[in-house]
Amino acid sequence: MSPFEFAWRSLSRQPARAVLGLTGVAVVGALLFDMLMLSRGLIVSFRDLLESTGFDVRVTATEALPGMGPPVADAASTTEELRRLPELAAVVPARFGVASIDTRNGKTAPVAFIGSETRRRGEWKLVEGADLGDDADGGRPEVVVNRTFAREERLAPGSIVRLPSALPAREFRVSGIVEFPFETAGERMAAVTLRGFAYAFPSARRDEADLLLVASQPGAGSEAAVAAIRRTRPDLHAFSIEEVLERLRHAEFSYFRQVSFVLATIASFFALLLVTTLLTVSVNQRLGEVAALRALGFSRRRITFDLLAESALLVGGGGLVAIPLGLLLARGLDSILRRMPDLPTRLHFFVFEPRALALHAGFLVLAALVAAAYPVALAARLPIAATLRKENVS
Amino acid sequence: MIARLVFLSPVLLALAVPPEILVSRGLLQERGLHLGQVVMLSADARGANARPFRIAGVYEPTPDPSRFTAKRLEARLHLPDLLALAAEPGEAGAADSVGAINIALKDPADAEAFARELGARSPGVSVVRAAAGDDEHFVIIERFHAAISFVTMIGSTAFLLALMVIRADERREVAGLLRLLGLPRRRILAQALLEGLCIAAAGAIFGVLFATATQGVVNAFFQWRYDTTLVFVRVTPAIAARCVVLALPLGVMAGLIASWTLLRQPVLDLLRR
Repeated sequence: MSPFEFAWRSLSRQPARAVLGLTGVAVVGALLFDMLMLSRGLIVSFRDLLESTGFDVRVTATEALPGMGPPVADAASTTEELRRLPELAAVVPARFGVASIDTRNGKTAPVAFIGSETRRRGEWKLVEGADLGDDADGGRPEVVVNRTFAREERLAPGSIVRLPSALPAREFRVSGIVEFPFETAGERMAAVTLRGFAYAFPSARRDEADLLLVASQPGAGSEAAVAAIRRTRPDLHAFSIEEVLERLRHAEFSYFRQVSFVLATIASFFALLLVTTLLTVSVNQRLGEVAALRALGFSRRRITFDLLAESALLVGGGGLVAIPLGLLLARGLDSILRRMPDLPTRLHFFVFEPRALALHAGFLVLAALVAAAYPVALAARLPIAATLRKENVS
Repeated sequence: MIARLVFLSPVLLALAVPPEILVSRGLLQERGLHLGQVVMLSADARGANARPFRIAGVYEPTPDPSRFTAKRLEARLHLPDLLALAAEPGEAGAADSVGAINIALKDPADAEAFARELGARSPGVSVVRAAAGDDEHFVIIERFHAAISFVTMIGSTAFLLALMVIRADERREVAGLLRLLGLPRRRILAQALLEGLCIAAAGAIFGVLFATATQGVVNAFFQWRYDTTLVFVRVTPAIAARCVVLALPLGVMAGLIASWTLLRQPVLDLLRR
């Protein structure tokens, strides 16, 4: 009989205990799996968001996040200068502003405006109607709006958006409905051309950009593009996606990494404690049986393998159940955290990665080994004759 | 807005009396500034049109749970100084315009009516009601932690139940003997319930004491890590009471389930005869 068959019989002899052990390991295993997904979830999700725009380098005037610090001055000439760099495939200036609109119920509501050029890559995804076109002279400038804005104000391609916050009030014609990568839940967003932006915000300074979106040449890569920008314009701050993520990893997203580390440690310790307790009690209750097996010729090594197999069955079984349970739990926890204000709707806290699964398996294997260590030592050092005599007397 | 700090010799600027500013503790430490130092501030990233200011004091920014991971590198200026610093030279009216005005109403219930009236009188003005009540970030984080606690509680219950089953199994012969001696099932069950209650209470009290003893370490770590005065963990009497109150019924339930499966069996089965 193989150690696994033997361990299976040992566990199935006390099904209630085995089921409770498996349940405990499954629950803490699910928590561990979730914490592993949380530890990198924001980074993975944010990378997806950044990459979905089609631009792999961001250029700002200072180290501050776009819109939080001073803008890039002389945006037009800076853009042209960067466009001449052979390492860069595209450079698009972007401006951010918030304007007020009159809502259907007579109140005013803020709308986040992006001023940019006509779409070249993944700045937004067209959902309905036509994309933003170059502004023709005369007539109302075009605007693309997000679904929230369109739904709440019943806008459709061809509708007119009026901005009373600009004096005199400005009007735009909706050309299409789009989805922005970074739009947050309930946020009204719109994009216009740079000319349209100046029209919407007449008091805003001209020839500035909050951010320059840069796409590197496919053969060059983002690192070469960043180096070229830094070489040409040392006064500007260029960041590749990896650099942006590295910064977020150490600042904005670090809290959840630390929480996940603490909870993953607690979950691993809990699983270890549970399996150690169950195995130790099981061995203590079967001392006579173990001694009898040793007397029959079972080697210490064989007893060790039997106990390791029992530990592996408990931890492995619980760990397997933990995966679907963890995925289910992650959905619930993710939906709670995603209700945080000002978070992009496409951002997730819990993201499945093969790496998380591998780490989950690794932690559980380690837990199974460590949990079996004490019971194994107990069984291996067992004095055969004395134990059998004691069992007989009792 | 505050883009560049240029340090000047106080001797050069001793004759002039630059306007005063306050800097946040984080900025003071990060840039090695000191009280009385004269710094140059500019609204331009390249430091154009910089003006001198004297650091008159240091302040601790109000902790903001939505921004606690960000470094609070801030300075406070008198409004006219900020307007003069940020205004584009030659820009008409720039030195007399502000981004927002905070208004406290005598009766906060009038906010909607006030917003309507102001909007009607000044079409270019956007009136936004300041957020009231609990910060939403706090509420979400609390919900997240409550969900984690719930999952942990399920795991702990399984653990406790497993322990109680083991305990009950270990004493099956004793239970059989007691029943042979005439003790009713209810009496043995009460004993098991009491045992479950004691284990759960002891565990909960140990947990509360452990959390109370370590909360300072957790707070110190996160306050050091994020350079904030926010308190991350606080074991209040209400939380401690909730913990114990939740643990006790779980202990009783675990004892009941574990014992009942044992006591259902005939006496001879318990004695393995």
